[in-house]
Amino acid sequence: MLMLKKNLTLIIFLFLVFSDFLETFTQFCFKKSALAGNLFAIKSLSGLLGFFTGVFFSLFFWLALAAITITFILWSSILSRIDLSVAVPVASFSYVLVPLVSIIFLHEKVSALRWEGIFFILIGVIFVSISSHKQ
Amino acid sequence: MTKGMFFILLLIVTASILDTITQLFLKSAINSLKVCVSLNLKKIKEFILALIFLPQAWAALLVSIIALCVWLYVLSRVDLSLAFSIGSVHYIFIAISSKLLLKERVGFTRWLGIICIAVGMALVSIS
Repeated sequence: MLMLKKNLTLIIFLFLVFSDFLETFTQFCFKKSALAGNLFAIKSLSGLLGFFTGVFFSLFFWLALAAITITFILWSSILSRIDLSVAVPVASFSYVLVPLVSIIFLHEKVSALRWEGIFFILIGVIFVSISSHKQ
Repeated sequence: MTKGMFFILLLIVTASILDTITQLFLKSAINSLKVCVSLNLKKIKEFILALIFLPQAWAALLVSIIALCVWLYVLSRVDLSLAFSIGSVHYIFIAISSKLLLKERVGFTRWLGIICIAVGMALVSIS
């Protein structure tokens, strides 16, 4: 039987919070690159091609890919030290962080109803992840 | 719900399903390697070399690129705070596919979590 790795040390916790910020940064950059591609009207196949060309030549797109790579490496090393069921609840902090960044940097409006939905999703993600090692 | 919103929801669900397929391919690739991943440079090199020759790894890469394209299109249409929240639907797909394809047991707590996520998604999508 596998030993459960449950000791959440401060350093792992900080790495997890850092990966939350990386995830949020990734999504922010993807949104920015999608906005850059949006200069093209997507009404036809050539418009769609123009959209992806716009995205491809956006610096934000490459920043996002770099952030994904770092996240991937970080997660691989986190998961070799701690159980997924302990890591995911801390990592799901990004479900709050992404809307906050959307409000501050993208000037989106998040209604009370949407925050309620986000709250339910957060609880759900935590339930799903704490159930992962129960057999 | 407007027709446009329904189309966007469909695209987010598509991206999530593609993400789930990527995960299943990766899981299958890792399972067939039967090696222990460690932070040893020689081991990592061996691991990557073995991975390159697995068709599942290439399939995962291809599917994840398609998923990324769909996701970028979604982001060009709607708010990030909306798309990212609804993207949590992949927890549901992962749980269902783990049960059906990998024969993993899905217990009460996990179903409870899935219901919470579904309620949250419904609230976000009508907001």
